[in-house]
Amino acid sequence: MNQNTRSFLALTKASLKMYYRNKGAIIFTLLIPVALLSIFGFLSSGRGPRIQVGLTNKATTEMAQQFVAALKSVEAFNIRETTETDAATELGKGDIDLQVIIPENFGKNEDGKPMASTIQTRFNKGKPQSGHMANMVIVQIVTGLDKKVTNAPTVLDVKSEGVAVNNLGYFDFILPGILSMSIMQLGIFGVAFSFVAMKASGALRRIQATPVHPVYFVFAQATVRLLVTLSTAVILLIFGTYFFGFHMVGSYVNFFLVCIFGILIFLGIGFAIAGWARDETQVAPVANLIQLPLLLLSGIFFSREGFPTWLKTITDYSPLTYVSHALRKIANEGAGLTELPMDMIGMGVWVILVYIIAVKLFRWE
Amino acid sequence: MPVILEVNNLTKTYPNGVNAVKGISFSVNKGEVFGILGPNGAGKTTTLEMIEGLRPITSGTVLLDGIKTEEQPYLIKQRVGIQLQSSAFFQNLKLTELLEMFADLYGAKINSAELLADVGLQDKAGFLVKNLSGGQKQRFSIATTLVNKPVMIFLDEPTTGLDPQARRNLWELIAQIKSRGTTVILTTHYMEEASFLCGRVAIMDDGKIVALDTPDQLIKQLLAKGFVPHTEVPPATLEDVFIDLTGKTLRD
Repeated sequence: MNQNTRSFLALTKASLKMYYRNKGAIIFTLLIPVALLSIFGFLSSGRGPRIQVGLTNKATTEMAQQFVAALKSVEAFNIRETTETDAATELGKGDIDLQVIIPENFGKNEDGKPMASTIQTRFNKGKPQSGHMANMVIVQIVTGLDKKVTNAPTVLDVKSEGVAVNNLGYFDFILPGILSMSIMQLGIFGVAFSFVAMKASGALRRIQATPVHPVYFVFAQATVRLLVTLSTAVILLIFGTYFFGFHMVGSYVNFFLVCIFGILIFLGIGFAIAGWARDETQVAPVANLIQLPLLLLSGIFFSREGFPTWLKTITDYSPLTYVSHALRKIANEGAGLTELPMDMIGMGVWVILVYIIAVKLFRWE
Repeated sequence: MPVILEVNNLTKTYPNGVNAVKGISFSVNKGEVFGILGPNGAGKTTTLEMIEGLRPITSGTVLLDGIKTEEQPYLIKQRVGIQLQSSAFFQNLKLTELLEMFADLYGAKINSAELLADVGLQDKAGFLVKNLSGGQKQRFSIATTLVNKPVMIFLDEPTTGLDPQARRNLWELIAQIKSRGTTVILTTHYMEEASFLCGRVAIMDDGKIVALDTPDQLIKQLLAKGFVPHTEVPPATLEDVFIDLTGKTLRD
């Protein structure tokens, strides 16, 4: 094994042990996000009784029957077949949560080719969580059928209508937010305090007295924080999905890639502070000064829609806005990375920026 | 005895203009314990750090075991063991884990139990550094300098702040390391320590070496100048009384 690799692994191992033996850090990085998530989960309590679905099937094709069967097999749904007008009235009264209309041409062929067709769903504004959840299930069923029909471009689609603004469950909104917050705090606080403590105590200087360049120690610390953050993300996702019915519409790979981008940005900020500061007393005010406005103004706990235009414009550029927005788009709407060019560019620019600043500010002693 | 370290006209000027080391020259023989004495601010630590490759050299040369520090500071660090003045270690790591980490950083293989036994800490393998006494910390710190089987170790004020028992215990350890052929350079504020341990000492003041010889020779030279002690020196010291009453047994 190459000596640099060996040194890096030794320092990573040491950093990992230091981390998991630090009870304060464990509470900070795992328990607090999980507790916050639980509070929001119970407040929004997305787990209600079954979702009442009013179904109108205008088609007679085998495909439509398959679709109805699939819907009926969903445990969370209570399906009632009815006419379009009756269902609309019931939806208005709140007797059903979701209306699903299968059009006549659903699954039909025209000149030997499948016809493009759109299933319409409408849901109750008063119970957006159920409607949203139901909608996502239907998207999945349709996507599945669509793949069966052809390898050609999408011909079947769901068109959702009825709720203009808040068509998300609050819990689906809050989970990526809390995760973004954890990423930021792990990056800034998780690294700044411990690193500056090692600098102030002389433990870092002791490493400099060995043949290893101390930058390997920075890499080792960063690697451990990256692992910890990804574990936090996994735990929050499992916890949120299992207990509060969180739905991941998009790809986990994209979701975790954005998490990694986020941790790179905030680790950079953490190392910039730790590299600049002489001791812990200098870290706290600076770290708070950076993270508090980001926390409040990046749309973590509530949407930025209510902000005055100027504030919204400024906070558009916050690194935490980019991270939380991208995570939400992926988790809630299934966006791919190429559909999030502004977020990706924004995060990329921030990564470069914070590392330039960190390198400029860094002092080893 | 062959020379292992040759320092020539070594100078350090800090960016703020402070001239901490002003062109000093000396050499250290293989296998000796060489002491650098001097009041605070004399430039002892700066001198050590330049030799070790921890601090850039303003001018002058250092040749250690045939290697120029300035040109290959990382190769120097590979060959020597360095104990810093304030020895701090990563928190929450056990002694064996720290030793193994240090060994990995040098690409060395060690038997950590044996190494801990060498410094009298065989019972403390699973301890954290913060749970050690002052003397044990210093002995552990010396153990970390030995992981790479260095040709030379640097000890910067190894006994400062220790009680007389722990200090004497550390002297024995240093003498033991010397007896295995390792060259030792140390700085100290304790003259009896220098007399006991060092083959030769350099006395530094204001960035310069003002005297360099064996302790006996330095005393002879002083007496030859007609020096008379202020008070009559009793044949025993208060420290001798203290050790007589409290014993040599370690208290940590």
